Amino acid sequence: MFKYLMLAGLALFLPGLYALGYSIFEGPSAWMVDSRTFWGTPISLFVFWIGLAHAGTLLSAIFLALDIKLDRRTALIAELSTLVCLVFAALFPLMHLGVIENFYMVVPLLDARGNFANVSSPLVWDFCCIAVYALLSLLFFTTHLKTREIPTLEKYRKPMAWLLFPLVLWVHTVVSLDFAATFVPQWRGAFFPVYFIAGAIFSGLALMNLLLCTEGYRVRLLERLQLIFSWFMCAIWIWDLMLKGSICTSALIFAGVLPQLRMVSFIRENKWGRIALSLSVLLGLFLERLYIVSPEFGLQTSSSLNWIDWGLVAFSVGGFILLFFGIRRYLNMKMEGSSAYFGEVDGNDLADAEQQELEKENVDVRGIEKPKKGFYIQPWASEEYHVLRFPLLVGFGVAIAYAFWMVGQSVFANVDFSFANIVPLLYPIIALVTALTLFVRAYFVEHAFTLSRFEKWTCAVLLVLLAACAGAFFAGGASQGSNLSLDSQPVAVDRPVSQDHARLIWNARCATCHGAEGKFNEKFVREFYPVPQKLDLQRLDSLGSDSLVKVILNGRVNMNAYAGRLTPSEALGLVNYMRSLAKEGE
Amino acid sequence: MAPFLNALACLIALGSALFLWRKGSSPYRNGALLAGFLVLFSVFCYFGGDINDPTLEHYPFRMLALCLCLSTTSLPLYRRRYLVLAQSLWCWIELFGGISLYYRGIDIAWTRIAALLCMTLCSTFLSKISKEMEFCLMVFWLAVWVFF
Repeated sequence: MFKYLMLAGLALFLPGLYALGYSIFEGPSAWMVDSRTFWGTPISLFVFWIGLAHAGTLLSAIFLALDIKLDRRTALIAELSTLVCLVFAALFPLMHLGVIENFYMVVPLLDARGNFANVSSPLVWDFCCIAVYALLSLLFFTTHLKTREIPTLEKYRKPMAWLLFPLVLWVHTVVSLDFAATFVPQWRGAFFPVYFIAGAIFSGLALMNLLLCTEGYRVRLLERLQLIFSWFMCAIWIWDLMLKGSICTSALIFAGVLPQLRMVSFIRENKWGRIALSLSVLLGLFLERLYIVSPEFGLQTSSSLNWIDWGLVAFSVGGFILLFFGIRRYLNMKMEGSSAYFGEVDGNDLADAEQQELEKENVDVRGIEKPKKGFYIQPWASEEYHVLRFPLLVGFGVAIAYAFWMVGQSVFANVDFSFANIVPLLYPIIALVTALTLFVRAYFVEHAFTLSRFEKWTCAVLLVLLAACAGAFFAGGASQGSNLSLDSQPVAVDRPVSQDHARLIWNARCATCHGAEGKFNEKFVREFYPVPQKLDLQRLDSLGSDSLVKVILNGRVNMNAYAGRLTPSEALGLVNYMRSLAKEGE
Repeated sequence: MAPFLNALACLIALGSALFLWRKGSSPYRNGALLAGFLVLFSVFCYFGGDINDPTLEHYPFRMLALCLCLSTTSLPLYRRRYLVLAQSLWCWIELFGGISLYYRGIDIAWTRIAALLCMTLCSTFLSKISKEMEFCLMVFWLAVWVFF
């Protein structure tokens, strides 16, 4: 079964790979872009896949945290699907940027040139949340896999689940802020965080039910939740319709109306019926993402999907099938055999298994009976303190220290900055530091588990790679100008162009980032990652005209080089125009 | 929204909370009720307030969070856990709704968020929730809704 699915995945993946290569080579003009939002298919796919990535944490971590029973096989499948979805979710924002070499600017660290990521931009929050979510999900999955060999690891799963529970919600909330913090009228919605989270959980449930069908069993609890979430989504869409007067009809039909067929027992009890219902939800929610990202989609012929868009869809779907079932086959020996699993969480066949679980709950992993109620434990010596409170305290400490360090960076003299800008970064930092403290303590202090030589080498290689990435981010990307010969000698300028000519060039070339009045384009500052320089009179005077002309022609840091597109006279005209704008602003 | 309608919203949430988590009720019933309440709160906001007011965008969801907080007092089991979770949800909606609005020039309701956060943290220390404590909690939530 898995082999055929992998072949089907390969058939979708290979042509999709061609579309991916072409779109990276060609840039954003390759795919359908909405003329108002400037966003297109990569962002739709990003939101879609990051939503699906919630399946793992929802089903495994949240259920574990809330003591809702879920069998090991289902939980492992859910956790694996999260990891694979995250791989594809992380690819698309990179493509959308169009300047992959400047990716390092989304990391909220100071770089070698003294630049600092723009923490006003949700893109920076996205990077932090998704990176931490991916790392902790991998740790959670690995711990779960290892619990069979090392049962003492079991006690670390629940603290991890309580860390991942808020994190998974945090990730999609931040994704929703990519939209809610912008100027596009269709995206204005203070309810977007809840809306996106509900949609993500709904799509994650549909994916899980689909994957369970391929495994040959079902979990009724998940099917029920899928139906309940369809009602909740319909209620949210009704509110969206009241607010904005429009609704994505196809999403309503596929993800709102058709899932109600689950109430028909003939469809519910049929495997293909359940597959069709899950696929219908996934299709509906993909169309909804497309509608949110590109409101013009389907309204104008210019906004229809081309072969690149379909190729990117095929790439992600095929890639997911290939990677998920490939890893699933590889890990088959680690997961439970078909004779041992118990698929029906709410069925009668669970009675024995539940009884065993209850008995197991009364005895901890070391075989010592739990203390009865009223038994006094020293607070600093309790198990709870060691596995949860102490790591959490370290996490809070690091997050507070980071906040103080960040506020002290001089770059924030350039932009309005408030506590609200750094709040979204704080929890991922807390979660990351807490989880690392938990496992470092478990390994070095408690000796709760050991690593084989291969695993030690893998950890060492990963650490070196991480350090290399941090070094690369710190060093930054290439920023030299396109024409170095201009730098070695003074720029020959006869006379600057007229003020009117300079104003036209400014509005065409520069206002996108620096604003029509030289006071930043707020849209740019909110949606993109670098912080543009403040062009006040004092700064312009200190740099001098010749130096500014060179910056315009040769580029600097994130400023593009305009030599070849502008003449030196036009650049000098722009410098004079900047001065006039700065004087007006004084 | 006008103060009278704001107070009325609070009463509607309180009335809705009565129907949730009844003994023996199925997940379908509770799920359908929650979705139905959200539609009810949306209709209330649509007719009760100025739909162009940005602060109303997450108002039905705030009502739903208040309704969930109030409903947790009637739970038979795991009351502290779900009480903390419901308050966290409310805090969440206020904080991230506030951040969205902050980018459009509207101040974040820090007092409301701080009050909710304090109560959420304090609730984690509740060992037994008596009838008197239930009443105090409900009065606190209603006060946060009406005055902050």
